[in-house]
Amino acid sequence: MNNLPGGQNPGTLRKRLRVESFFKVLMAASALLVLVGLVLILAIILWKSLPALKLSMIIRNPGSGYYLGREGGILNAILGSLQVVFGATLLALAIALPAVVFLNSYLRRKSWLAELIRFSLDVLWGIPSIVYGAFGFLVMITFHLRASLLAGLITVAMVELPILSRALDETIKLVPPDLKETTYSLGASRWQTATRVVLRQTFPGLVTGVLMAMGRGLGDAAAVLFTAGYTDKITTSLLQPVATLPLAIFFQLNSPFPEVQQRAFASAAILTILILLISLASRSLSRRLSRHKIR
Amino acid sequence: MNQPSRLRVENLNVFYGQNQVLKNISLALPDNRITVIIGPSGCGKTTLLKSLNRLLDEQEGVRVEGRVLLDGQDIYQPGADITLIRKRMGLLSQKPQVLPMSIYDNVAFGPRLLGLRDRRVLDGLVEKYLRLAGLWDEVKNRLQEPAARLSIGQQQRLCLARGLAVEPEVILGDEPTSALDPQSSRNVETQLLSLKENYTIVLVTHILRQAKRLADYVAFLYFGELIEFGPASEVLVSPRDSRTRAYITGEIS
Repeated sequence: MNNLPGGQNPGTLRKRLRVESFFKVLMAASALLVLVGLVLILAIILWKSLPALKLSMIIRNPGSGYYLGREGGILNAILGSLQVVFGATLLALAIALPAVVFLNSYLRRKSWLAELIRFSLDVLWGIPSIVYGAFGFLVMITFHLRASLLAGLITVAMVELPILSRALDETIKLVPPDLKETTYSLGASRWQTATRVVLRQTFPGLVTGVLMAMGRGLGDAAAVLFTAGYTDKITTSLLQPVATLPLAIFFQLNSPFPEVQQRAFASAAILTILILLISLASRSLSRRLSRHKIR
Repeated sequence: MNQPSRLRVENLNVFYGQNQVLKNISLALPDNRITVIIGPSGCGKTTLLKSLNRLLDEQEGVRVEGRVLLDGQDIYQPGADITLIRKRMGLLSQKPQVLPMSIYDNVAFGPRLLGLRDRRVLDGLVEKYLRLAGLWDEVKNRLQEPAARLSIGQQQRLCLARGLAVEPEVILGDEPTSALDPQSSRNVETQLLSLKENYTIVLVTHILRQAKRLADYVAFLYFGELIEFGPASEVLVSPRDSRTRAYITGEIS
């Protein structure tokens, strides 16, 4: 009996079914764990921050004695984070977009230069942001510069650059070669093809990539730790220090006062909500923008 | 054959790496006629077609030897303006490839590349070429809709209109009806037949019946060699070469 092929033997069949259902349950459990993780984190942050979540948190700067538990909010850090991340993303995009268009429209796919650039981007992606922070800090010391919005956003731009470039690269790579051929055969140059057709076809993907990089830059603490400084005021110049949400969480969590700790969680909740909003925006935008996309 | 011809291929050899896919091809494509390139799959039909507007350049590892003359000018000569050459040859690909924009913008794409901005002139051109491609009545009320929403047969005619709007002299078609349903194929074929008065047309097909319906001249390619070239009435009816006969009678496919 045992020499018969698998399914013929009722015993073997039963065993195969058992194995199948075992692994199915295992996979379902892993998938569920992802969901549970997100819900748990959100729930704990919200629960811990509930006492401190007041409107004043998002419309006021820290008052005197704020870090001892008195009145105030973290408007400085919310605005500061947005300043840093918008500046950084613009800067990173200004470098990533031309670089990626060059990679895809002007270099042969397997050319050594293209491979080298993609490899460098992968390495850069893997470098922890604290290293970028330390690097920025070193440059600042060398040139006797103070921690500032400018230094912070440049450092965050370095963190975002490889993420953004690779995301854009992957979307642009997916453009069907036929589409490019068609455009060339209409007499378009490489430049015209890239700007009028390729970027248009990939626009939804570009938007998603930009928002992904923004999300990453918004939450990064290590890059701004040495470079952006911190301030209780709203920053009005590129050369002033700037407050950021990750550091606001970090400083307040270190406090011995429970009120301040609660505010740290409130700050975390605000940061998480911001990132959640960005993700939602990227989803709905990419759906709306793909009207013209060729599938 | 004493047909005038502005597009000539002379001793063309094409290599993909070590592989020679076209072997010493020479032929003169007659003006204002439909020349159909037939032959089994993988015998170089598309390669020959794409060598005519230098789309081969976009593929990696391709080497081209020999000359393709357009009005006596070798398009492969160093310094030749590739975009200008391509502008003179409209291409219809196997699968209709509309651009990711509206119907209107698809047709206006070529004229805009040439720097045309005047809205009224563009409106006129869009209508003219959509009519020429036999699509105007079906889309005149939805010109601003994404081209991707058209049916596949409409998309192919839109591609034809878009190609014509560049005002080419030659229309190249790479099995332009192979992805279409019979009705749409018929539409495209009708358009091509009426266009040959003003254009030189070169089509690749592996459908013999289509060759019979459309061809004035037929070129038969077999393993990269041009076996036979001549008027359709001769090549399709009484071929001289045994391989051509074998292909036409269906002994080989």
